[in-house]
Amino acid sequence: MLARVPKEITRRLVLSVGRLSTATEVIETEYTETPQYPPILNLSPEKKLERKKDAYYEEIKKVKTVEEKQIKLNMPRYYGFKCYMLEEERIPYNNLAFTQHITRTHIIHQNNLPSYYDTINIDSSIPDIKEDIEEALILEHEGYMKSHEIKREDFTLEKGELEKIYSKNIIYQINRILLNSLNSNYPHIINSQVDIEPRIESFWYAGGMNPPNSVRKGRLGREWTKHQENDPVDRAMQYIGVPSLTVRSSFPLAPIISSSEAENPALDVPFFQYDPRTVGTHCSYRRITNIPGFWPGESHQFGTISYNLRGHLLEKQYKDPNYTREALHRQGILGSFGWLNAQANNLGFTTYNDITYPLTTQCVITNGKLWSFYVYQLNTILIHSKHVHENPKRNVCWSTDSIKLFDEVKDGKVIGFNEDVLKMLVKFYANQPVVSGNLEDFRPFLSNKEKVVADYEDPDKRKWLEKEFKFIVSNRPRHRLPYEIYHWEKIYKIDHKTRPMDKRSRPFELFQNPWKRTYDNRQPPYIPRKLRPDLPRHKGRYAKEYFP
Amino acid sequence: MSTRWYPIYQKGGPQLRVFLPNFWLKLVRTEQKQPQNVVQFQCSMEMTKHDIRNYLEKIYNVTVVDVRTRIALGKTRQVDKGYVVKDDDIKYAYVALPKEEKFEFPDLFPKEKETKEADEKTLDEVKKGHKKFLEKNKDRHNIPGWFSI
Repeated sequence: MLARVPKEITRRLVLSVGRLSTATEVIETEYTETPQYPPILNLSPEKKLERKKDAYYEEIKKVKTVEEKQIKLNMPRYYGFKCYMLEEERIPYNNLAFTQHITRTHIIHQNNLPSYYDTINIDSSIPDIKEDIEEALILEHEGYMKSHEIKREDFTLEKGELEKIYSKNIIYQINRILLNSLNSNYPHIINSQVDIEPRIESFWYAGGMNPPNSVRKGRLGREWTKHQENDPVDRAMQYIGVPSLTVRSSFPLAPIISSSEAENPALDVPFFQYDPRTVGTHCSYRRITNIPGFWPGESHQFGTISYNLRGHLLEKQYKDPNYTREALHRQGILGSFGWLNAQANNLGFTTYNDITYPLTTQCVITNGKLWSFYVYQLNTILIHSKHVHENPKRNVCWSTDSIKLFDEVKDGKVIGFNEDVLKMLVKFYANQPVVSGNLEDFRPFLSNKEKVVADYEDPDKRKWLEKEFKFIVSNRPRHRLPYEIYHWEKIYKIDHKTRPMDKRSRPFELFQNPWKRTYDNRQPPYIPRKLRPDLPRHKGRYAKEYFP
Repeated sequence: MSTRWYPIYQKGGPQLRVFLPNFWLKLVRTEQKQPQNVVQFQCSMEMTKHDIRNYLEKIYNVTVVDVRTRIALGKTRQVDKGYVVKDDDIKYAYVALPKEEKFEFPDLFPKEKETKEADEKTLDEVKKGHKKFLEKNKDRHNIPGWFSI
């Protein structure tokens, strides 16, 4: 039995063959031995939308460079996205389950580091370091007592701010001591970079949570969406944090557990079904940004250690004995996930294109005296829409309680120095990144030739993309004020049509929604005639744009 | 505490002895689904977060962990298709209880079995009366019900 081949192919065949040979040949080529059918697609609106989205995700995957991917993510909205803001130091009550849900994190709480760290031998280097650190603690403590900021009378600081000054100094000193004294035994430390107060911003989509009332009402208003009334909605999450110090290396840390273990259903993650605003998260319209504390093109793009502060706990407390513990967990999880997610974005992955290998980082939250340690393994960043239920991978966070490094500093002596804390910290530094394989393998979704915008040869394109990328990540407001419906318009024109004779010129009267304006929906810069090449008057008026 | 204007006392007028406070809380059903430890109230505009917390802790002995408030804009409506009037704004308070506690909005008007039974009983009686009426008039075709001796 012969089957028909698609019409288009036949037409081409007829065109090419027709002139040379007889009609019988054409008919023979029109048929194949085995029938070839196009795939049967599910034509329901939901499935159609899903295919459309998948095509868009593929489009993002194919974008060549890191910066262009970030611009591409921002393309759907000119005025920015409605983001649920997750700030490092603003931790509302009852936030842990929500945090775990939106980061898909399983917590393993214990009093020690995961067993992976048992293999790292550090005992020989401890005694030398201990003395140095004790000295630094004494010095910083005395310096702190005398310090300028604290003594000034006209300059009153909050308790938390004071603690931050103290802990920052201790962190800088301890980091310096550890880097200096460990680099002879652990040569990988020489090849690491330190950032002081880097800016970390991270964006991803999280799904599975109830729709807001406005969405629900919209769905109820259309006959064909009524059945989806309570379907979950994806929400844009934007994390913003400033660790006091981070350490980076040029290769990633080894994963703690294998990828098959990360799919273990026993690693349960609480499911949070409510709107994030019900637990005190607020929203803001902003362009979405992924900044891991360095710009694309940096050679050391894998974070190993981050130091976070806990002064905010002194400023805001709730009447719940568990609050401090949960707040620290949230800070540890979001600090690690946010940082790793931003790093993953700099490696060419996005919230739509999952990471192909796990990323690991280590986080310390401290005020100089109390230390909590977090080890985080990022296995997936696909947490939106259907992936909430279908994605088998989970991220894992190992956490410890807050442990005292020392009891107090008195009369120039450190009392009750706890060596176990120091050992854990040293193990974080001694944990060696895996220097195997090619750096290319870590960036499968970037083009072979161009990884970052700076690799483009065309100087115009390079400049344009650089400018656009920096504008997006700056999140500076636009020069022109954004669109707004004035209150009198809402009352007298929209809610009650009391002005039928007015000229209809506003967007809401013309069935337009300016909030849906896309990023490229704008006039390119004008080039004055004098600067144009010798072309007809109507040509070359506007500069070229390079939207991905 | 009250900002109400009470009528000035005139000789012979009634002595006003009840001074109503400005502070009140009205428990309402949540519009958006909330975690089980969150309770929603409408409250008077003058109340701050601290007032709400104290009100619940001191008067009702409820442990309050967190209070968030918002002011909802009152709706506007047109009177007789003429001028537009605006309803009062409402201040909402979302009070978080300790995480382990659960709050369920009470069923204030339960449809009890008894009322249902009583309804059925009266219906039966009416039916019975109608039957009796028909029985009485079965040989009085085409004569109105009120026509009798």
